[in-house]
Amino acid sequence: MENVLEIKNLCKKYDNFELKNVTFNLPKGMIMGFIGENGAGKTTTLKLILNIIKSNSGEIKIFNQNIKNDKNIKEEIGVVLDDIFFPEILTPNDINKIMKGIYKSWDTSLYYNYLKQFSLLTNKQIKTFSKGMRKKLEIITALSHHPKLLILDEPTSGLDPIARAEVIEIFQNFIENEDCSILLSSHITTDLEHIADYITFINDGKIILSKTKDEILDEYGIVKCTEKEFSKINKQDYVKYKKTKYEYEVLIQNKKEFKTKYDIKIIDKITLDDLMILMIKGEE
Amino acid sequence: MIGFIKKDLLMIKSNFKLLGILIIVYAIMGLMGEIDVSFILPFMSVMVMISTFSYDAYNNWDAYSISFPDGRKNNVKGKYIATILMTIIVTIITLLLSFIISYVNTKTINFEETLVSMFGSLFGTLLVLSFTYPIIYKLGVEKARIAIFLIVFGFIFLITLLSSYINIEFIAKSLSFLENYLIIILTLIMIIMVYISYKISEKIFSKKEF
Repeated sequence: MENVLEIKNLCKKYDNFELKNVTFNLPKGMIMGFIGENGAGKTTTLKLILNIIKSNSGEIKIFNQNIKNDKNIKEEIGVVLDDIFFPEILTPNDINKIMKGIYKSWDTSLYYNYLKQFSLLTNKQIKTFSKGMRKKLEIITALSHHPKLLILDEPTSGLDPIARAEVIEIFQNFIENEDCSILLSSHITTDLEHIADYITFINDGKIILSKTKDEILDEYGIVKCTEKEFSKINKQDYVKYKKTKYEYEVLIQNKKEFKTKYDIKIIDKITLDDLMILMIKGEE
Repeated sequence: MIGFIKKDLLMIKSNFKLLGILIIVYAIMGLMGEIDVSFILPFMSVMVMISTFSYDAYNNWDAYSISFPDGRKNNVKGKYIATILMTIIVTIITLLLSFIISYVNTKTINFEETLVSMFGSLFGTLLVLSFTYPIIYKLGVEKARIAIFLIVFGFIFLITLLSSYINIEFIAKSLSFLENYLIIILTLIMIIMVYISYKISEKIFSKKEF
């Protein structure tokens, strides 16, 4: 399968944080959910992809081209970043005028259709918008030049459930065109369970896993057991565990194999939230 | 790149009301003979442009602009071109205003004197711009304010100090043969100054991380 985004051994060092050998690929036509707790390195990775910050080492290829070939690549990318946008004294009308002079493929009628769909006033300064309205405007702006790759940092944060549903629907429509792909970081993992094809999980600057969502939901599971049952499980057969007041919650990576090895038949389905919590907070 | 220029001009547009009011106030003061408008308005245009940096910083525009095609280059280029356009527009307005004020007050128009003082103020405006922008790109608008303040005062102090040792009249006399070419020389200096400033800002911004 052709990849739209390839990241290999990406490193970035700060005084108090380090991104270590980040490697993952986003296949064409797919939505990848990029998850991890605050400060895990999601935004840093996205900023590196966009060349907003520069890596210490590693390679980033978009549409099979090195990102140093900035101009051509960015013509095809739409971006929503957290707290990064146009100066708030501008209006949606201004944004249209500006973007016409930035992207060759800027589509004024598409932009105004979106504004209408989301009931955003075209002549009001951005600073008069609520957080949700602002987010919608950011998303609309990212979509209106027909990008082939969307890079979205927390695009649904601050949106109420209805707006979130609307936005997700837009992403789904966007992805209907098989040429288009999305890399989307989010805390709201339920959104990702609906739309993501791939999940990449970053923790403390390192990629812990990068797989298809179905693989993760099929393979991983949670075993809830007593201390006595837990003591019988070999260390190599589980990933992490958490001791609660009454039981042990054990994250396992291979449900089928586990069932054949142990006499524990009830394995709960995993959610991305469970996976994140157990991976980060669980003990080894 | 046109988009970047438009962005700054549209931002200034939202300050047009304030600018309009200031122009009227200065025009009235000029008519009353209180001030010389030719020196105030172009300088004001730079102040307005510098305020666009504050808005940019507040919404992290610089980081956003890098996500656009050739964003790192066009951000700086757009800012310089928009500033020059703005300065030219304000200079023309001021020039017209100066003629009107001069005509109302004296019933004559002194073209040469007005043009010379306008040219001087244009030179001053571009000097300030060339000097300020790289510092803003390097330090960000907040820290740059303090740095600019310190540097300007240091410069004035230095000039004052030097002037007590140097015979300025002697220098002026020995350079008097250049008088006929002064406008050309100053124009060239202006162009070179802005170009060097632009190149420095571009270099700073090409390495900047957000």
